[in-house]
Amino acid sequence: MIEFDREEKRMVLKLVFYGPALSGKTTNLLRLHDLLAREGRGELMVLDTRDDRTIFFDLLPFFLVTPGGLKIKLKVYTVPGQVKHDATRKAVLQRADGVAFIADSRLSETANNYSSFENLEKNLAFVGIDIETVPLVIQFNKRDLSEIVPETDIERLWRPTGIPVFMASALQGWGVVETFGRLVELTYDAVDRKWGLREGYGLEREEFVRRLTLREQGR
Amino acid sequence: MDVPGCRKGDARMNEDREGAGGIEYVVGAEKRLCEILGDEEIMPILRSALRAGVSRIEVRDSKGRVLWACGDPTGGGGRAREVAPLCLEGEPAGSIMVEIPSSGRLRLRDFTGLLSEVMNTMITNNLKRMLTAEIHTTVVDQTHEELIETNRRLRASESRYRELAESLDRKVQERTEELKRIHTRLIQQEKAASIGLLAAGVAHEINTPLGFISSNLNTLKRYMSRFTEMLDFYRGIVGEAGDGVAEEAAKKWSDLKLGFVVRDVGELISQSLDGAERVRRIVADLKGFSHVDDSKEDVVDLNTEIERTFSVLAHEIPEDAEIERDYGSLPGFLCDPALVCQVFLNIILNSLQAKKGGLKLHVSTRFAGGDITVAFTDNGPGIPDDIRGRIFEPFFTTKDVGEGTGLGLTVTRDIVTAYGGDIEVESRPGAGTTFLVRLPAEGGRDVEVR
Repeated sequence: MIEFDREEKRMVLKLVFYGPALSGKTTNLLRLHDLLAREGRGELMVLDTRDDRTIFFDLLPFFLVTPGGLKIKLKVYTVPGQVKHDATRKAVLQRADGVAFIADSRLSETANNYSSFENLEKNLAFVGIDIETVPLVIQFNKRDLSEIVPETDIERLWRPTGIPVFMASALQGWGVVETFGRLVELTYDAVDRKWGLREGYGLEREEFVRRLTLREQGR
Repeated sequence: MDVPGCRKGDARMNEDREGAGGIEYVVGAEKRLCEILGDEEIMPILRSALRAGVSRIEVRDSKGRVLWACGDPTGGGGRAREVAPLCLEGEPAGSIMVEIPSSGRLRLRDFTGLLSEVMNTMITNNLKRMLTAEIHTTVVDQTHEELIETNRRLRASESRYRELAESLDRKVQERTEELKRIHTRLIQQEKAASIGLLAAGVAHEINTPLGFISSNLNTLKRYMSRFTEMLDFYRGIVGEAGDGVAEEAAKKWSDLKLGFVVRDVGELISQSLDGAERVRRIVADLKGFSHVDDSKEDVVDLNTEIERTFSVLAHEIPEDAEIERDYGSLPGFLCDPALVCQVFLNIILNSLQAKKGGLKLHVSTRFAGGDITVAFTDNGPGIPDDIRGRIFEPFFTTKDVGEGTGLGLTVTRDIVTAYGGDIEVESRPGAGTTFLVRLPAEGGRDVEVR
């Protein structure tokens, strides 16, 4: 959590889209920006992207006020996937409330997925976040391509971990809101357990998820 | 510019994470309007709005406080007013208020919309720039801290290695000496054990024949007395016989020197029995010394053990040597008797070898202040100053090759130390040598000797 000011009734949450380089983290944010209603979300900020790669990070902010008057800002970040930007990843990961790991479904990227996930485990530990308890979802992106890891293999591998896994094509726009929605659900549960969103501020889980995944008319 | 409730900068004290301390840069820390917009950007816009015909324009924060304003104070009659929101990351962060004269030509709604669009774009762009700078600063700071930490660890490990290298020599030397001592001790124990076994075997082998020798000699003695008695009886009868028989018998008696034989035979047997008894005693002492029968610890009288040592060495002690004993009354001492005998044996042997003729050895034992002291003083040539410090070193010897191992006094010291005691040597060249062994009467109980 970036900030929680009880007197001002402000809470600032952070979600992070993690994953190997070019797995489609920025595309996920672009799609969320396109698909979700303008109301209650800010503009997508794409910071210093060069050659289709994110060097710093992207930011998509959301804002809502609960029935109990608590102002919640949810900032969704991507991290740069390139190995050399590890320091940026650590910095962005600090105080994250939830993580979506965007994996590249192409068979050729399997090794990169693994090393990026290892890097996530290492960096979570570095910033003092327990990977066992942090809200975490995995998205296998680029399902529209051929030469991809079969879904059955993914199921078999990840089901035992209990981490929710989603198939998606960010380019085509499917699976993106579902991934985000589940992460928002898990994040609500974690924050509610700790700070009592329902009891203290009258915010139900369904309402929280609905407000954050409200689709733009006609999308 | 100073605005109440407006916080500059993105650094804040870390309160959540324990122990980290200091300032932590959190990517995504909240910003306020007044941190994102500056006078130099806003004021020109406000002034040009005035030039365009606006009578009053204000920029307010989310609580309605005026951050920037231009034109005549608000509230004059005959004005139209329009308010448009300013957003920060999707959150209403303030507003822009525009007043124009009712008579003006400006289309208020469109103009206000234009201004808010301009300012919102400015906010977004500034925020973007700040976030870029922020992450850059964070990464640089963090990298810097990591480098400092890496540097610190490298320094620590470097100094550890340097220290290791420096102490390596000394440690190797220490270990070598320790190993040498242990090796020496092992050799000595092995030797003592095999000597003990040998002694036990020999003692057993000798005891059996010795037993029947003694027993047969006693029987023979009885038989002989019967023979002599019978012989006397015959002599009495024959001495009174006639026909020259008596003379012939007396001659035969004299030729065979039976008078001497009868007298001597008893003495021969007595001497043989004495001899057998001496052999038995020596064997018993040897067994006692090697302690093959009781290799466990026991409470012993050290005076007895010294005597035992002397009797084992009896054949080594020259005829002309004088041994003076001055034994005090000692408390029982818990020890492995074989080991303490070895201590005395080595010291006595040292004196015996130092003075070949006319040796005088004075042995005294005392008990005082909880300590048992045993002093051996000889009248030998003494130990030269330059080697006195080395006599306890393993393999140090003044004897010719093959005559001494150089281990005797080393083992002696090790045993005494193991019982919590110490050994001192006083010597002056030409004036003899004193070995002083001090053993704590209770000390032996806590120390495991092996």
